[in-house]
Amino acid sequence: MNALPSWLTDSRLSEDIEPLLRQTDDESLERLAAEAQAVTLRRFGRIISLYAPLYLSNFCSSGCVYCGFASDRTAPRRKLEFDEIEKELRAMKKLGIGDVLLLTGERTNAAGFDYLRRSVELAARIMPRVAIEAFPMSVAEYRALAECGCTGLTIYQETYDPENYAKLHRWGPKQDFLERLETPERAITGGIRSVGIGALLGLSEPVGEALSVARHARHLCRTYWKAGVSVSFPRIRPQEGGFQPAYEVDDRFLARMIMAFRTTMPDIDLVLSTRESSNFRDGMAGLGITRMSIASRTTVGGYVEAETAGASQFEVSDDRSAEEFCAALRAKNLEPVFKNWDAAYNNPLPEKERA
Amino acid sequence: MNSLRLGSYTFSSRLILGTGKFSSVSAMIEAVRASKAQLVTVALRRFNREQAEDDLFGPLSEIEGLTLMPNTSGAATAKEAVKAAHISRELSGSPFIKVEIHPNPHHLMPDPIETYEACKILAAEGFIVMPYIPADPVLAKRLEEVGCSSVMPLGSAIGSGQGLSTSAMVQLIIRESSVPVIVDAGLRSPSEACAAMEMGCEAVLVNSAIAVARDPAAMAGAFARAVEAGYDARNAGLMPRSGSAVASSPLTSFLGAGS
Repeated sequence: MNALPSWLTDSRLSEDIEPLLRQTDDESLERLAAEAQAVTLRRFGRIISLYAPLYLSNFCSSGCVYCGFASDRTAPRRKLEFDEIEKELRAMKKLGIGDVLLLTGERTNAAGFDYLRRSVELAARIMPRVAIEAFPMSVAEYRALAECGCTGLTIYQETYDPENYAKLHRWGPKQDFLERLETPERAITGGIRSVGIGALLGLSEPVGEALSVARHARHLCRTYWKAGVSVSFPRIRPQEGGFQPAYEVDDRFLARMIMAFRTTMPDIDLVLSTRESSNFRDGMAGLGITRMSIASRTTVGGYVEAETAGASQFEVSDDRSAEEFCAALRAKNLEPVFKNWDAAYNNPLPEKERA
Repeated sequence: MNSLRLGSYTFSSRLILGTGKFSSVSAMIEAVRASKAQLVTVALRRFNREQAEDDLFGPLSEIEGLTLMPNTSGAATAKEAVKAAHISRELSGSPFIKVEIHPNPHHLMPDPIETYEACKILAAEGFIVMPYIPADPVLAKRLEEVGCSSVMPLGSAIGSGQGLSTSAMVQLIIRESSVPVIVDAGLRSPSEACAAMEMGCEAVLVNSAIAVARDPAAMAGAFARAVEAGYDARNAGLMPRSGSAVASSPLTSFLGAGS
């Protein structure tokens, strides 16, 4: 393997967050929570920005042991045709959603770059903000997506431990640790405005993973000063394949991790998805978390008809409707915001095609 | 009380409100009413024509006597800000535009170069241009020269609550400026807003400090009174500061003492 980038092992990039992550007592947790809440309130106020995922396809060429879409899973494969994508997006829009995350598996002939590009183009005509979570691409491909109105990229390194990474990714293009690690940088270079990173928590030793994510975030902020950087905190969930994670990441550690990120990186978005329980999500909203998914389906499609064929990538834990979730936020004196972006700030789209 | 003059508009209130970060649209509207503000700013990002519940513009436009000033928050370049200004004018009908260009989406510091370029274009197009800027006296004059109707230097970083940490530079801007100087961003308490007015600001813009207060409407009222008090105090003539330069023996007794 090629040499790892120096930032990955630069402890100076994580020296402030490390002691916070290593504490285990209740008192420090409560103190950290108070600080995280104050910092969030100052910088982000009382709003939570919402987005929703749309799985375009579950075709995949990779063999990630922890994923329900890995290429050796027996569940039927499906991808949305463009007319179906449009219907799904319109159904999402009816729910109020103005910020969509389009997902695919690793690159396949069935769902490759051209399919994704056309999907982005279509989505940008309907939604003010479009982001993707898909296979790693080249700078030129990211540039083409940005020109079609793609604003954001989410890509999880899964684990920042190269040896463990090699074991967990049994075959396929995703086996290249460094290529994946450098994907956010290629996206930014290609003109994607914001990147979301994270580790799939449970795959490797959690404190080490958290430190690596922190270093990665800081490396990106420092190197690409105009790029938005956000951090997600996905914890491994039950999925087809029955993979059991090697490390348990309990609620207390996850909460501590989120709050430690908030207090040491006060102005980046921190994201929590419906992987987590309603209780945990409601509790963490405003304690560091500023961006959340709603009404998520992790099957292909799923907004037009809830019972779309096909397996899910993982099981959603918080399955409340958009209304129920928003009511819970409002009860906490937080405002759910569906549109917090405008197509005016996307790369040039002809006027008639603006969302 | 003299009016605040911005372009061809006049306002008796000198408190301008930001409308983001509130816990609900209704809390925001209550705060706007309690502040008696006549000018508020709303981000194009938060215009939502398709979902009334998520829209800030609609409910604000129903308040009588309120002028809306769209802002370009989210723009990273002059080009994007100009595009956002055009769309905002089309949607709101307001001639005001608050130019906010922050290429770094984390600290949200305004970009002086892109801001200057956007203001030059928008002022020439007839907008009432209100630029959010770093507290830089040279930039402030440059923006005045290209036709901005005010300059809005930051007191400190957006949402930092660090008050008038740029006070010395803001005073220089005020001393030199022929357009209203409005402190925007960073104010945490009514006393800081009062201090900005005493210093000679023509108005202040407040958002976070009101939006995140336990009782936003009450805080909006408190800011309104503080702004008025500061403005009145400034006009009444503040007593010179004491504590400096009191020599223990006369320094000028030699004058006229002969040879």
